[in-house]
Amino acid sequence: MAHHSIYIVLFANTVKAGTILLFPTIGEIFAERAGILNLGVEGMMLIGAFVGFVVAYTTKNPYMGFLAGVLAGGFASLIHAFISITLRGNQIVSGLALTIFGGGFTTFYGQKWINMTLTHTLTPVKIPMLSSIPYIGMIFFNQDLIVYLSYIVVFVMWFILYKTRLGLNLRAVGENAKAANAMGISVYKVRYGWTFFGGLLAGAGGAYLTTAYAPFWLDGITAGRGWIAIALVIFAMWDPVKALVGAYLFGGINALQFQLQATGTTIPSAILNMLPYIGTFIVIIISSIIVKTRHIKPPKELGIPYIREEK
Amino acid sequence: MFYFEKRQQTPGYLKALIPIISLLLGLFIGALAILITGINPLLVYKGLFLNAFGSWYAFSETLVAAVPLILITSGLIVVFRMNVWNIGAYGQYIMGAIFSSYFALFASNGLSKPVMLTVMVIASMVGGAIWALIPTLLKIFWEVNEVITTLLLNYIALYILKFLMYGPWKNPSSYGFPLSKTFPDTAILPIIFKGTRLTIAIIFALLAVLVVWFLIKKSKFGYEVRVIGDNPLAARYAGISVNRNIIIGMAISGALAGLAGMTEVSGIVHYLQVKIGADYGYTSIIVAWIAYLDPLITVLASVLFGGLASGGYSIQITMRVSYGIVGLIESITLFSLVGAQIFLNYRIRWKNGSS
Repeated sequence: MAHHSIYIVLFANTVKAGTILLFPTIGEIFAERAGILNLGVEGMMLIGAFVGFVVAYTTKNPYMGFLAGVLAGGFASLIHAFISITLRGNQIVSGLALTIFGGGFTTFYGQKWINMTLTHTLTPVKIPMLSSIPYIGMIFFNQDLIVYLSYIVVFVMWFILYKTRLGLNLRAVGENAKAANAMGISVYKVRYGWTFFGGLLAGAGGAYLTTAYAPFWLDGITAGRGWIAIALVIFAMWDPVKALVGAYLFGGINALQFQLQATGTTIPSAILNMLPYIGTFIVIIISSIIVKTRHIKPPKELGIPYIREEK
Repeated sequence: MFYFEKRQQTPGYLKALIPIISLLLGLFIGALAILITGINPLLVYKGLFLNAFGSWYAFSETLVAAVPLILITSGLIVVFRMNVWNIGAYGQYIMGAIFSSYFALFASNGLSKPVMLTVMVIASMVGGAIWALIPTLLKIFWEVNEVITTLLLNYIALYILKFLMYGPWKNPSSYGFPLSKTFPDTAILPIIFKGTRLTIAIIFALLAVLVVWFLIKKSKFGYEVRVIGDNPLAARYAGISVNRNIIIGMAISGALAGLAGMTEVSGIVHYLQVKIGADYGYTSIIVAWIAYLDPLITVLASVLFGGLASGGYSIQITMRVSYGIVGLIESITLFSLVGAQIFLNYRIRWKNGSS
């Protein structure tokens, strides 16, 4: 029994750690589907993590914190939206600027919060019936409300993408903006909307990190997870359900790394901490080869600004 | 509503004005950010300026920060011009530091200073180039996105460095601090201005600028780089090997970042440690953009941003203003630069009514 519980803890932590990556990955998938490449995920996650932490700390309410972190991520994404959509600036450089901004902003205002710890964090809420399923129940249905929210997000976003007019318009804009415009779709509105959505979800990933998984503040606490999320978009081939698989895979690496460190291992911690990046590196290579050989195309107009002709 | 109308001609003054306005906007937003914390931003900026340019020593420290920026940025310019995004200068810098440190720490016996330093320079450039060529080959053969791979290699390089510093290369008498033994004297770059930390690395930096300037403006390689940047398809039709040029460009870029890492450990720190040059990778991207990817303007921009970095470190210690302010100013400047590019080709027109 004790032997089993170690694995259940490991898998439950996998879901938790995976949730941190799942939100931003889905957000970026939708921004990219609309044709906007946002390399500022790391910066937006940092801002979401910081604002989420500060609000959760001051209100003593982790849900308020989470919500504030989500909104902060959304607002941060609007800078990128304005520069890449309205001003048609280089999306790669603007996204990098957003990452630098998130780092600078949180280092600057985070100085006096370093090493502080939340007194009230997100706590598990058992789902009746489902949580009593052997193994599965303890792993998936004995989590906090935000994890349940992430399940809903995956399903709803899959539904929106493939089964609704909204998703059709989104895909049209990402594949051929000119044709979408001719169909009467406002390319700018669609792009602004989904970039903002991407920001909200990046904020959610960051805020989940500091209100549930690591409820304290450290400079640069997201530690490159934003970049892992961007890589996962390619792994997921721009599909929200595959994003779930990728996020949990890397959540698993995180959870394993944590468990090994906690139980005391002879593997040097630098090597353990390197694992997620090595893993991402290998996965991005394999995914790119698959994308290339199976002729899966990224959104055609990814990164290309849209210019509406003026009469 | 407003709309953009294509310009017939780009006014020359705009090209000069955009970087200046962008930097001022960065400083202005930075001032607001400081103001919110209840500190007088003018005092902070005064302190920052004096610590960057206020005395010969302050200015020499600014140049100390500018040297790696010049080295890294002149390499980035070459690849950015081909729209190849090397975001991995930090990792290449670390690899350069590690490769050159190996010789300083373990293979210095019987070598004279000039030989030792030459070996270290070459090792650092090889180390940086290798770290840049991994993502390059992945990009060329399998179309793996180099933005993500170069970035991931930054983290991987950092953890390799940490592994060495906490493990096999750790100085046994460092009281647990993650650093190596001090380099022998033969592995330390000579100082060229007494009383400062300015070494002959400044000559490396200027040489790098001249070489890159020559390559870009005067060589066939530079011509091909321009064609590739304008239109890779046209370049292929013209018989230019895009892949070959990208490989050469990334090798140069990685080698120069690696050399910057060597100048840091051999010229400034004199041993290898975990914390080296974490900001240079990102800052050099801003320097490259504000200089319009021009090697000569890069020198000026590097001194400016070197001053911002050096002054930023000083005020963190003396005025307790977080170094994060530097990132804030830098990012707003970069946002503004990228956003303002449109005004080089378009002008704003207003039209009546809504649309």
